[in-house]
Amino acid sequence: MKTSSELRLAPGTVVTGKWKRGRYRVERLLGEGANGQVYLVEHGRRLYAMKVGGDAVDLQSEINALRALAARRRRAEPFLLAVDDFVHADGAEYPFYIMRYVRGSALHEYLQREGADWFPLVGYNLLGKLAELHEAGFVFGDLKRENVLVGDYGRVELVDFGGATAFGKGVRQFTGLYDRGYWNAGSRTAEGSYDLFSFAVLCLHLFEGRKLLQLSQTLLPQNRSPAELIRLTDGHPALKPFAGWLKQALRGEFASAREAAAAWQRILYGGGVKPAPRRRSSAGWAAGLFACTMLALAAAILWLMTEGVLPAGLS
Amino acid sequence: MKQLLLITDGCSNVGISPVVAAAHAKAEGITVNVIGVVERGESISSAEIEIEEIARAGGGMSRIVNTRQLSQTVQMLTRKTVVTTIQQAVNRELRQVFGAESVEALPPERRGEVVRVIDELGESSPLRVALLIDTSASMRPKLAAVEEAIRDLVLSLQSRSGRSEIAVFHFPDSEDGDGCVCDLDWTDNIAGVKRILTRLSMRGTTPTGPAMMQVIDFFRQGDYGRTIRGETDGMIGEDVV
Repeated sequence: MKTSSELRLAPGTVVTGKWKRGRYRVERLLGEGANGQVYLVEHGRRLYAMKVGGDAVDLQSEINALRALAARRRRAEPFLLAVDDFVHADGAEYPFYIMRYVRGSALHEYLQREGADWFPLVGYNLLGKLAELHEAGFVFGDLKRENVLVGDYGRVELVDFGGATAFGKGVRQFTGLYDRGYWNAGSRTAEGSYDLFSFAVLCLHLFEGRKLLQLSQTLLPQNRSPAELIRLTDGHPALKPFAGWLKQALRGEFASAREAAAAWQRILYGGGVKPAPRRRSSAGWAAGLFACTMLALAAAILWLMTEGVLPAGLS
Repeated sequence: MKQLLLITDGCSNVGISPVVAAAHAKAEGITVNVIGVVERGESISSAEIEIEEIARAGGGMSRIVNTRQLSQTVQMLTRKTVVTTIQQAVNRELRQVFGAESVEALPPERRGEVVRVIDELGESSPLRVALLIDTSASMRPKLAAVEEAIRDLVLSLQSRSGRSEIAVFHFPDSEDGDGCVCDLDWTDNIAGVKRILTRLSMRGTTPTGPAMMQVIDFFRQGDYGRTIRGETDGMIGEDVV
């Protein structure tokens, strides 16, 4: 079996698609995923990311997940742009696909640079991405810091879909520390709660990284449990508001990522204020707005009629 | 689908060559994977060639890893082997239907559907994995990691939709030092098993080849394990009734 780790494309190398003859000039290596390497490439004066895999079947599984996702968000800018193979100078053939290049940094680097103030928003955006993927029928699987890219103003993009698994199947790829099975907290069956568990561990990793790694290294396998993780949820000020949410995610209590995102959002803007009075006041505000609109509309119609713009029959 | 996963850290030194045994396994439709497990700073370069050759003869893959990577590697090799096995079967079909040699020979836009089928079959086909553990002296400090890896594998297999079972063997056996002991007969659940590897022998030989031959035989005859295990006649009796 070919392993893509043996492959190194030097900057300047031009890769030509075997089937569609597209030409891509390699700028540099962006990163290495489980199923292959990602390069920054130039094509028609624009930059793209190119993922080169060692195994056509593994890479195609990933592409299938991306296609399912693309079918759901037709309005959005396409993420997957081309799929092809190329013949390397050494004679071996490698499958690759071209995707939109997302400028950004890994989640932990972004928060280190821009500050923890961004965490609640980035977390919310990430939950939105997960919900979208789940609604397309796939679980992300291998959620971890490196696989979350954050661009300007906290915009989030998931990268490396090597773990993406259709609902109900066994998760294809995962990382021990983030894996529900590793913490004796449930199965490896692809379901929404699997990603949400990883999301919660990801939050702990961001702010309680040292303690989390220590837990994983010192606990005996049979003693790992969600309860141990829950103990880390309210130590750090950035996590404290989300402690209840994290507890629910670690226990697998959210029915879906959409529901979990909504719960996260309530914390974001609720600031601990009880929801009941807020809801009434916001409903009153909306009713007031509606009344104003109707009044304005009536005035406009009246004016149009007096001006003779509207046919009299309408009144 | 049948797989034999050998976990070892040294060369065999008794009986039939494990490379020959692996070729036997392949002839029986059993894919052989091998993991060489090392402690930090330990080198097993002398055994690496044998490990690689066993896997090649058995149509599988080999990896040299440390104890921390063991669970992940066991899980990954098992999954990859499932996909490869299915892929080989699908490739045969492709030759007949499309005249294409393999998935790779199809144009990219036609691969999607084929790979969906591969993924689906890989999830739902029945799978049996026999783990054969070297428990000679140098492996002793690594056995806790091996036990953890076995439990982890069972967890992964339980998330498959197809029937998935494991059996566990270790060698050398306690009697004559050139066979293996069955620790766990085919099962899909080991929640109640406190320790998997028991009754370890103090003998120093490493009869990798003969042990593999016994496991191949175990695959062939579903009830052979009970005889190796030397358990009560009652179990066999139940089967007869």
